[in-house]
Amino acid sequence: MILDKPDEPGKKYALAFTLLVHVGLVAALFLGVQWKRSQPQVMEVELWSAQPSQATYVPPPPPPPEPVVQPEPKPIPKVEPKPDPLPAHKPDIVVKEEKKKPEPKKPEPKPEPKKVEPPKPEVKPPPKFDFDKELAKETNQLKSSAKATASAQHMANAAAAEAEQRASSNKRGLADYASKIRGKVRGNIVLPPSLQGNPEAIFAVDQLPSGEVLDVRLKRSSGNPALDNAIERAIRKSSPLPKPDDPAMFRRDLEIKYKPFEE
Amino acid sequence: MNVTQDLSILHLILQASAVVQVVMALLAGISFMSWYYIFMKWFSVRQARNKTETFERDFWSGGDLNNMYNSAVNDRHHAGSMERIFEAGFREFTKLKGQKNLDPKDIVDGSRRAMRATYQREMDALESHLAFLASVGSVSPYIGLFGTVWGIMHAFRGLSNVGQATLASVAPGIAEALVATAIGLFAAIPAVLAYNRFAHDIDRLATRYESFMEEFSNILQRQMR
Repeated sequence: MILDKPDEPGKKYALAFTLLVHVGLVAALFLGVQWKRSQPQVMEVELWSAQPSQATYVPPPPPPPEPVVQPEPKPIPKVEPKPDPLPAHKPDIVVKEEKKKPEPKKPEPKPEPKKVEPPKPEVKPPPKFDFDKELAKETNQLKSSAKATASAQHMANAAAAEAEQRASSNKRGLADYASKIRGKVRGNIVLPPSLQGNPEAIFAVDQLPSGEVLDVRLKRSSGNPALDNAIERAIRKSSPLPKPDDPAMFRRDLEIKYKPFEE
Repeated sequence: MNVTQDLSILHLILQASAVVQVVMALLAGISFMSWYYIFMKWFSVRQARNKTETFERDFWSGGDLNNMYNSAVNDRHHAGSMERIFEAGFREFTKLKGQKNLDPKDIVDGSRRAMRATYQREMDALESHLAFLASVGSVSPYIGLFGTVWGIMHAFRGLSNVGQATLASVAPGIAEALVATAIGLFAAIPAVLAYNRFAHDIDRLATRYESFMEEFSNILQRQMR
């Protein structure tokens, strides 16, 4: 008894569905598995023999203009104390900011210009000796008042100020981070004895989130292989690199520039 | 050694070593075949179930057996498995019934044998390709694993040439190798699921056919008197 076997139903449909499934899979793979590592922003850490923070912190000098204003306010010494309560709060912030910035030597330069200038008013109207102290007080008050006005202006455009603060704190954080790394690497370096000139080497460093150094690549040689090796050894030796205070500041790729001496 | 920045799937497949690529191609073919059979079996099992249900309804609604036989013979292409079993049994029964000197028991036995033969043939048709799905389900993970192991061996051999052993120098190789396992699993998981599902469905159909055969034999035996 021979029965003609009926065709398997829906061969074409099966083929179409199969194609559909595989096209879907391939599409999902192509769209889903895009392990593209976007080139992260490279942070630059410059290594110098001396802390460059002073050099970068030139802006503070603007305060000196204040002493020039001194001669005028003399007649109004008692009116000023009023703003004091306000300034009492705001200077705090200013002082903190100054403290955060590593500038231990600045306080010294500031007083000097003041001392130089006060003599001028003294020469013109030679007043009492007590006035010197008062002058000092006044100058302090003046400073605080000037800062108060400045901060008041800041308050006025609060949003802008906040943005500025954020930006500045960001910059400060970066500078802190850079100086931490700089300090650690510099502590580990052993400079080769035969060092001539002040050649600069640039290294690209990959680090893990834990700060562990993954890879150190020489980007631009200093021209002195011994120095290059010394720097690379120093970077590897300082392996867990210090972490930034703000985790958002962390970069996987660092670019470290090294100059043996400050220019 | 510079780390590849681009790890798209295409990159991973193209960068893999030759053996891994062959394994991946093999697995892609297996996956295609198994999905084709999955869909085909799905359609055919569904159709067999529907036809069985219609035939059972017709049969137990008490129609004339001769009419039913005629419609089954005329419409053979659209007949379901159960209808063909019925047709074979009834044909044998009518043939044997024409011969005078036969024991009624022998007649029923003969038609039952005819039904069993058709039943075996039908089951064979229903179960075709299920073995393929079963072996895809059990073997393709191993094929994928082989590709992965080979790829990782390759990656580590490359590692020995690099002075500084970093994660970055092995990671792409391992990622490439793991694609093979992924494809293997993609082929295996649906195949196993489909195999279990179809085996269960076909078992249920088989019990329905068998009980029908018994019941139909009883009906034939009653017809003898």
